[in-house]
Amino acid sequence: MEALKVWTSLSSSLPISFRHLIHTRHRITSLTFLRRCSSTTASASTRNRRSSSSSTSTSDREAIRAIRIKKVEELRGKGLEPYAYNWDRTHSANQLQEIYKSLPNGEASDGENDRVSVAGRIVARRAFGKLAFLTLRDDSGTIQLYCEKERLVNDQFEQLKNHVDIGDILGASGSMKRTEKGELSVLVNSFAILTKSLLPLPDKYHGLTDVDKRYRQRYVDMIANPEVADVFRKRAKIVSEIRKTVESLGFLEVETPVLQGAAGGAEARPFVTYHNSLRRDLYLRIATELHLKRMLVGGFEKVYEIGRIFRNEGISTRHNPEFTTIEMYEAFSDYQSMMNMTEEIVTRCALAVHGKLTIDYQGVEINLERPWRRETMHNLVKETTGIDFNELGNDLKAAKEVTLRGLGVGLENKDKSAIEASPSLGNLLNEVFEITVEPKLLQPTFVLDYPIEISPLAKPHRRRAGLTERFELFICGRELANAFSELTDPLDQRSRLEEQVRQHNEKRAAHVAETSGEEENLKKNEDNSYEVTLDDDFLTALEYGMPPASGMGLGIDRLVMLLTNSASIRDVIAFPVLKIQQ
Amino acid sequence: MEGSVEETAKAVSNLVVDSPVDPSAPEETISKNALKKAMKNKQKEEERRRKEEEKAKQAAAKASSQSQKPAADDEDMDPTQYFENRLKYLATKKADGKNPYPHKFFVTLTILEYIEKFESLNNGEHLESETVSLAGRIMSKRASSSKLFFYDLHGAGAKVQVMTDASKSGMDEVEFSKFHSSVKRGDIVGVTGFPGKTKRGELSIFPRSFVVLSHCLHMMPRQKAAPGADTTNVKKTDIWVPGSTRNPEAYILKDQETRYRQRYLDLMLNMEVRQIFKTRSKIISYIRKFLDDLDFLEVETPMMNMIAGGAAARPFVTHHNDLNMKLYMRIAPELYLKELVVGGLERVYEIGKQFRNEGIDLTHNPEFTTCEFYMAFADYNDLMELTEKMLSGMVKEITGGYKIKYHANGLDKDPIEIDFTPPFRRIDMIEELDKVANLQIPKDLSSDEANKYLADVCLKFDIKCPPPLTTARLLDKLVGHFLEETCVNPTYIINHPEIMSPLAKWHRSKPSLTERFELFINKHELCNAYTELNDPVVQRQRFADQLKDRQSGDDEAMALDETFCTALEYGLPPTGGWGLGIDRLSMLFTDSQNIKEVLLFPAMKPQDEPCAKVAATSEV
Repeated sequence: MEALKVWTSLSSSLPISFRHLIHTRHRITSLTFLRRCSSTTASASTRNRRSSSSSTSTSDREAIRAIRIKKVEELRGKGLEPYAYNWDRTHSANQLQEIYKSLPNGEASDGENDRVSVAGRIVARRAFGKLAFLTLRDDSGTIQLYCEKERLVNDQFEQLKNHVDIGDILGASGSMKRTEKGELSVLVNSFAILTKSLLPLPDKYHGLTDVDKRYRQRYVDMIANPEVADVFRKRAKIVSEIRKTVESLGFLEVETPVLQGAAGGAEARPFVTYHNSLRRDLYLRIATELHLKRMLVGGFEKVYEIGRIFRNEGISTRHNPEFTTIEMYEAFSDYQSMMNMTEEIVTRCALAVHGKLTIDYQGVEINLERPWRRETMHNLVKETTGIDFNELGNDLKAAKEVTLRGLGVGLENKDKSAIEASPSLGNLLNEVFEITVEPKLLQPTFVLDYPIEISPLAKPHRRRAGLTERFELFICGRELANAFSELTDPLDQRSRLEEQVRQHNEKRAAHVAETSGEEENLKKNEDNSYEVTLDDDFLTALEYGMPPASGMGLGIDRLVMLLTNSASIRDVIAFPVLKIQQ
Repeated sequence: MEGSVEETAKAVSNLVVDSPVDPSAPEETISKNALKKAMKNKQKEEERRRKEEEKAKQAAAKASSQSQKPAADDEDMDPTQYFENRLKYLATKKADGKNPYPHKFFVTLTILEYIEKFESLNNGEHLESETVSLAGRIMSKRASSSKLFFYDLHGAGAKVQVMTDASKSGMDEVEFSKFHSSVKRGDIVGVTGFPGKTKRGELSIFPRSFVVLSHCLHMMPRQKAAPGADTTNVKKTDIWVPGSTRNPEAYILKDQETRYRQRYLDLMLNMEVRQIFKTRSKIISYIRKFLDDLDFLEVETPMMNMIAGGAAARPFVTHHNDLNMKLYMRIAPELYLKELVVGGLERVYEIGKQFRNEGIDLTHNPEFTTCEFYMAFADYNDLMELTEKMLSGMVKEITGGYKIKYHANGLDKDPIEIDFTPPFRRIDMIEELDKVANLQIPKDLSSDEANKYLADVCLKFDIKCPPPLTTARLLDKLVGHFLEETCVNPTYIINHPEIMSPLAKWHRSKPSLTERFELFINKHELCNAYTELNDPVVQRQRFADQLKDRQSGDDEAMALDETFCTALEYGLPPTGGWGLGIDRLSMLFTDSQNIKEVLLFPAMKPQDEPCAKVAATSEV
C-alpha cells in the first residue's frame, strides 16, 4: 500500500529524466524511486525529447509507446508471449488480505496450502538491487508482490527489470509473507507478463482535473481512481436490489420495444431513426408506460421493466440523452399503495449500499427513515407562498395577478414569463410549485394530487375535482419518481391525449410563425418542432378493459446519484454522451 | 381511430364467423346454448324482434343505428354496433353520475391463491362465514336463469367459477337481472363473497357483491371450433411446461397478425402465451443469477454510439438535435464492455437490446436481446465449459430434464428432441470441412489461392454466395452448408480463421486460426465467444484488413474504433468474451419457430401504409 501511495502522489508528474536512477544501486533504506519506464526507455525517450522541448505529453506518450512495442518484440524474440491466453488465479487480492490478516509482521507462511496465484495490474514498483516490490491491483483491491532475485525462477528478475512496466498486467505465484513494515505480500516464485501495456498510466491529479477526459476514457479514470469503479459496483447493487424487491412481491420482468411507431407515455422530444427494409421512420421510446399497460390489459397483474429511455434533449448534470428507469404496474392497486412500494424500494436500496438510512448527499444529511412526508401540491404551495389555489377561483388572469403579486419582486424573469404563459390554472399551480417549492424539498417528500391539465395519463381524483391521483417523490430538490392511479377510462384517455396533441401542435405552429424565415433558429432552438402522434393501438387496448391499477416510474440514474453521493449524472453512467470533441 | 377499432373488431369477428360451433364439444355447447336460451328468455318479445330487425339492417348496410338502446346483449351482433352499444351504456352510467371505472378494488387473494386455499373443499360444501375478494376478467358467461349466472373469472394464469345467485346478491330480482345482463364477456370485475364447491365439485366463489371494474368495449373473440376447444385449451395450457411442444394452430385466437399486433388479446385468450413470456423471464433470471454467483458485475453501456462497433451489421442512425450529432444505435456492446475490463472490472456482463437495421424474418427482429459477458484471465476453453454448465443447468432447472422437444420441421411433422446433456460436441471448423467435403483448404487463408480454391468449391457443390466473394464469406457459406446442418444437439464449431474473426485472438498453436467458438443448436447460432484479441498492434491490423473487405464491397466488415484501440494500449488482461442471443434461446424453450412468438411486441410492417405508396417509393 505504501508503494501505491507513493506512486499516486508522484506518478507521471515525474519527469522521464528520473530514469537515470534505474541502475543506481540502493539499499532498502535509501531513496525509493518510481519507474515508469525501464532501462531501455532511456535512449529512446532522450531522442524523443529533442523534438519536443516543450515536453508535450503526447510526444512522451508516443515515445513510451514505441519503447514498449519494442519490448513486445523482444519478449517474442525470447519465445515469450506478452499477450497471454489465460491465468489460473487462486485468490483475489482482497481474499488474501482477509485470509492472512493475522499473519504477524516479518513472518512467512509457505505451507502446502499457501501456494497462491494472483493476477492484476501493476500500479507501482520499487526496485533495490536484488529486490523489487510491485503493487498489484485487481478488481478486489491491492497486494504487494515481493520479488527476490534468488527466489525467482530462471532469469525472471532480469525480465522484471527490463520488460515489466507500471501498467502491465501480471500473473504471479508464490507463497505468503508479511514484511517487517507490515505489508502483506506474495513472495513470488514466478510471474508472467499477461498483457503488456503500451501507454503510461495517467497521473491521478491530472486525471481528476481533466473532467472531460475522465468521461471520454472511462477506463483510464477507473485505473487512476479505483473509487470510480465503486460507483458502478454500487449501481449494480442498487439495480439488483430493486429487482430483488419487486420480484419478491411477485412482479414479472418484461421487455417492451425501444423502436416504436409513435413515441408516447411522456412529453419529450424523441429520437427519430429510419428502418430501411420497413421503409418507415421509427421513434426511440421516451417511456415504457403505454406498452406495460397493454400487459395489464393482457392479464399480467404485476409487471415491470428496467430499461433504457431516450430523450432528444440537452445534456446537463441531471440529463443524459439515454437513461435508465424502472416502470412498474400493479393491477387492483392505487397510488396510495404505490407510495408504500416506493418507500420500500428506495429504503432497501439505501440499506444495501449504506447499511443505514441516514445518508449524506453533497453536504446535506438526508433522512430516509419511513414514513416519508406526504403532502398535496396545493398545501405545499400554500405553505411556501401563502397563496391558496383553492380560493383563487376559475379566473386564470386574476389568478396570475394574485400569483405574481404574491411571489413579489424576487422573481426571476424566466419564472415570471413562465407564469404569464401558463395556459391553465393547473399549469399555473405547477409553475409556482416548481419555482418556489421544488428546490426546498430536500428530505423525501411525496407531493400528491397534481392538476389534471399536466397529468394526461392519471386517473381523476376520487374526491377532488380538477385533480388527479398522482404523486411525485422529491429528494434533494429533485424528482425521483412519478406515479399515479392509472387512467383506465378509454374515452377520457382519448380526449386527454387528443388535447395534448392539439396543444402541442398549437405551440408548434406558434413557434413556426414566430421564427418564420429563420430556418436556422427554427432548427436550433425549437423545442416543439417534433411531431406528437396519438398511440391508437394503446387506446384500443384500453377499450378491451384495463383493470384498476397503479404505476410508478423511478429514475435509476438519479437514485444511484443520491446513494453514491454523485453530483452529476455523468458520474453514474459509465459512458455518458458528450459534446463532439473539438 | 375509427379505422383501427373497426379493423380490430373485424379481425376479431372474422374469427367468430370462421368458427361454426362444433356439436361434438359437449360442455362448451351446453354453455353456449344455455347462454343463448337465457338471453332469449330474459328479453321481452318486442326487444327480440327489434334485435332481429337490426341484424337484418346491419347485414344490408352495416350502418350503425343511432337510435338504438344499449340493451342488446348478443355476440352475434356486428362488432361496430356492439362497440357503440357499449359506449352508450357507459354514457348512461356517467350521465347517472356513476363512475364506471372505480379507483380501487381491494383484492384479498389472487385466483391462484384462492384455488390453492380452497380446492380441498368437499363437493357441495360452502364456507359462508368466510369472506374473500377476487378480481379478474370474465372469459365466459352462462345464465341458468334470470336469477342465476355463472362466470369464469380469469386472472394471473388461473380461473375460477363465479356462481352468482340473486338471493345472495342484496339486490331484488329485477335489479339483479338487469345488472347481470349488462355484464359482458371480457369485463374486469371484482367479487366479494364466500368460497364453496358446487355439487358437481367445481370450486366457485359465491358473491355477495359484484362490481364491474373496467369494461370491455369490444366483442371478445370466441372460442374456436376445434373439438372441445375451450376446456381442452385451458386444461392443456395449465400444464404446458417449457421444453414441451405447443400448437398455436389450436389457439382460440389464431390469426398471427392479430396475435402479434394486439398481444394483449393473445395473452387473454391463449393461456399458453403468458407462459412463453414467463419462461423468457426465467431464462434471463437464470443467466443473471448464474453470472452473479460467479461475481460478475452487471453494467449498462450506451445504446447510442458515435461508431457502431463490436460486430458487422448495418446500424440504425439517429440525430441528437441539441448537440447536432449523428448517433448510431449499438449493434453490440462488446467494445465498451472490454473497455470496462481494461478499467479493472474483471468480470462484467450486460443483458440488453441490440439494434440492426436489417430485414425481418423468422429469426430476425430489428431489436433483439443479448447477454454478453467478459471474464478476465479466462480463455475460450474455460468459456466452453462455462457455457455447458450454464445451458444444461438452465434446461434442467426450467424444464426438469436435459431434453427438450421442438418442432424443428414444422408443426405438421413430429417434434425433434434436443439433448443438452453436457459435454457438447466440438468440431474444428477447417479440419471438419476438409473431412466432410473431402477438401484440402489451403493453410494460408489470406492468400488469393485460398480464395480461388473456396470459390471453386462453392461452384462445385452449387453453393450460392452473393458477391463480394471474399474468403470469409465463402467460408461462411461452406460452413453453413456442410457443418451447421449437422448441429442439432448443442455443438461447438471452433477455431474460426482470423479473417472471419477480427476481434478474436489468434490461436496459440494453429496458425491463421483464432480461439473462437460458436455454439449451434438446431442448426442456429446461439453463442459466439472467443479468447479476446488484446494485442493492440494486431487489433489495428485486423481493422485495417476489415477496411480492405469494406472497400471491396462487403459493407458488413467492421469499422475501426480508435477509442477502443487506445484502451487496448493501456492493457486488456487475457480475457474470454461471450455473447448469447436470448430471443433464440427463448424460442428453443418454448417450441417457437418464429422469433415474434417470444417478443411481446415484435416489429411489424406498418398497417396503415397503402401498398401503392410503398411501390412508389421503391421506384425512386
